[in-house]
Amino acid sequence: MVERTRTPLLTMRGITKRYKAVEALVDVNFEVHAHEVVALVGDNGAGKSTLAKVVAGVVVPDSGLVEIDGEPVSIPSPKAAQRLGVATVFQDLALCDNLDVTANLFLGREMRNAGVMQDGRMENIARSVLRDLSSRIPSVRTPLSHLSAGQRQSVAIARTLLGSPRIVVLDEPTAALSVAHTAEVLTHIERLREMGLGVILISHNMNDVRAVSDRIEVLRHGRNNGSFDAQRSSYEEIIGAITGAWQMAPASRASAPADREAAGR
Amino acid sequence: MSTRTEVNISSPTPPDLPRQSIGQRLQGLGGNARQYGIFGALIVIVLLFQVLTDGKLLLANNVAALFQQNAYVMILAIGMVMVIVAGHIDLSVGSVVAFVGGVVAVSMRDFDLSWPVAVLLGIAIGGVVGAWQGFWVAYVGIPAFIVTLAGMLVFRGLALVVVGETVAGLPSSFIAISKGSLPNVLGFASNMDVVTLLIGALAVAAIVISQLRARASLRKHDLHVEAAGLFVAKLALIAVGIGILTVILSFSAGGTPIVLVVVGVLVVAYSFLMGRTVFGRHIYAIGGNRLAAGLSGVNTRRVDFWIFVNMGLLAGVAAIVTTARAGAAIAAAGQNFELDAIAACFIGGAAVTGGIGRISGAIIGALIMGVLNMGLSIMSVDPAWQMAIKGLVLLLAVAFDLLNKRRAGTQ
Ligand SMILES: Nc1ncnc2c1ncn2[C@@H]1O[C@H](COP(=O)(O)OP(=O)(O)OP(=O)(O)O)[C@@H](O)[C@H]1O
Ligand SMILES: [Mg+2]
Repeated sequence: MVERTRTPLLTMRGITKRYKAVEALVDVNFEVHAHEVVALVGDNGAGKSTLAKVVAGVVVPDSGLVEIDGEPVSIPSPKAAQRLGVATVFQDLALCDNLDVTANLFLGREMRNAGVMQDGRMENIARSVLRDLSSRIPSVRTPLSHLSAGQRQSVAIARTLLGSPRIVVLDEPTAALSVAHTAEVLTHIERLREMGLGVILISHNMNDVRAVSDRIEVLRHGRNNGSFDAQRSSYEEIIGAITGAWQMAPASRASAPADREAAGR
Repeated sequence: MSTRTEVNISSPTPPDLPRQSIGQRLQGLGGNARQYGIFGALIVIVLLFQVLTDGKLLLANNVAALFQQNAYVMILAIGMVMVIVAGHIDLSVGSVVAFVGGVVAVSMRDFDLSWPVAVLLGIAIGGVVGAWQGFWVAYVGIPAFIVTLAGMLVFRGLALVVVGETVAGLPSSFIAISKGSLPNVLGFASNMDVVTLLIGALAVAAIVISQLRARASLRKHDLHVEAAGLFVAKLALIAVGIGILTVILSFSAGGTPIVLVVVGVLVVAYSFLMGRTVFGRHIYAIGGNRLAAGLSGVNTRRVDFWIFVNMGLLAGVAAIVTTARAGAAIAAAGQNFELDAIAACFIGGAAVTGGIGRISGAIIGALIMGVLNMGLSIMSVDPAWQMAIKGLVLLLAVAFDLLNKRRAGTQ
């Protein structure tokens, strides 16, 4: 494996986010190094997407510290995240159905020359990026509403290839994909790692997770519930942490009500 | 799906060209068919009233009057289609027209401002009004329907305060904005105003050149272009249409109405803004999926704010045209203007849900309403019935559009 740099690319400390009575994230710690793919797993509602949105500048945590390259940063908006080199594929994809593929790829970072969009240039880049993903998109001028779920996902993933990001967050990027296309996306993730990026992969598919990630972080009821080496840990261990059969050191779970165990099967 | 099974993404596969062009063809047809449909409806309505009015509709002075009477709708519809594409609505424009018109008139009569300064003042005040409403919509988050409903009352009230009842006695050079025509400095060629003919020729040349360039760019990027025959036929039709319009206008009393030039410039400028600039792209994005636009880094609040500022500026222009046409500021001016503009947008193919709509469509929608108005007036149909007929046309136009879409299965 590639040797890790000492300072993580992204560090999150004590991240807490509440929605009224719901504790989406409680005192969560998280790290990603360059050249590393970290999988974030957990049951539905565990807080995975919320954590991804904190990195993406969509959700501002109630408390906690975010550092990039060891420097404390605040990520108040998606634009700020973009500037800090974070690219995100959201779970609900966040695409505009009325715009074509090129317009969606470049949304929020259109190329312009003296105020005028450079449509030809953007289309050329769109074409080459989609070709790299060997996505089966009919044309870069197809409106998004004409694409299948998998094709839409390709467009969302292709967005992370633009603007040379350093951290890529993928929230269930393969949910709608065929076996062959899933394999392509996993290869794509491996290539991002080779390029020295830090990748956060959220997925419910343990095979995908174990195939591509270096480390697996488990969230349960908005709390850290274990960190596993993807190569050395067993399938049962990880599932145990997700479902609550396996628990982290009691100290960090002190505030969790006991009846949650029953609720989480 | 495809039969390809390779998983190595580093081996680039050439794009599937034949399939690409089929997809393009279908899509291109869908997009254009809608636009052609609206345009076709306009032609049909013109021909229908030409017959019903025994040829009076297309008399030179009536065509000139058509533009002079409907300039305000077209100007407002340009701003309104942007508002509607972004998923908002503006109910206040009629009141804003009355208010700004009042300020402009008072500034000339009581404060002796020269008319160009008064015009600039009016447009600026329109912009301030737009900023006021944009602030509440964009930064406070109150639905535009509510904000502009309030604005409708507020600015009607302010118009009454400023104007009283009427402010008359405006300078004739100001009134000429709406009633005047371009001076025929080039004289006449067998009774036709040469300036008008020249403008028509330039317009045809500009359209042909821009269409040819668009086609060349499609070619360059290996994208589907319509068949050469169809393309030439389309261009010929446009050229003939503008040609006929030009010749008719050149026989009119004044030649080219000044407001037609104003509208023409605005249409070109705003079509460019919507089609080629980032601001326009973001308006469509917000209308298509506001959340996604925000997540992609579009500053949705700023875009919303400027959409309303822009609507205010255009309401200011419409106020000047309206006041000049009436020759006086009237507190009750601009009544139902918001409905005219909104109707023009929807007849012109804008989607109620936002995300879809074009400047050209809104202008055609405004012309359809204008031709209806003029045709029915020439036939001396009771104004009460005129209103009812226009209402039905709006309903049928949108219903027709919807049925077409369902049949095409795009929704
Ligand atoms: N905008 C919101 N308002 C209120 N509650 C929210 C909001 N967003 C998330 N939550 C709550 O926060 C918790 C965590 O949600 P989150 O979307 O992060 O889960 P997740 O781990 O991504 O789940 P899934 O696997 O289903 O995608 C859930 O209980 C959810 O109901
Ligand atoms: Mg989620």
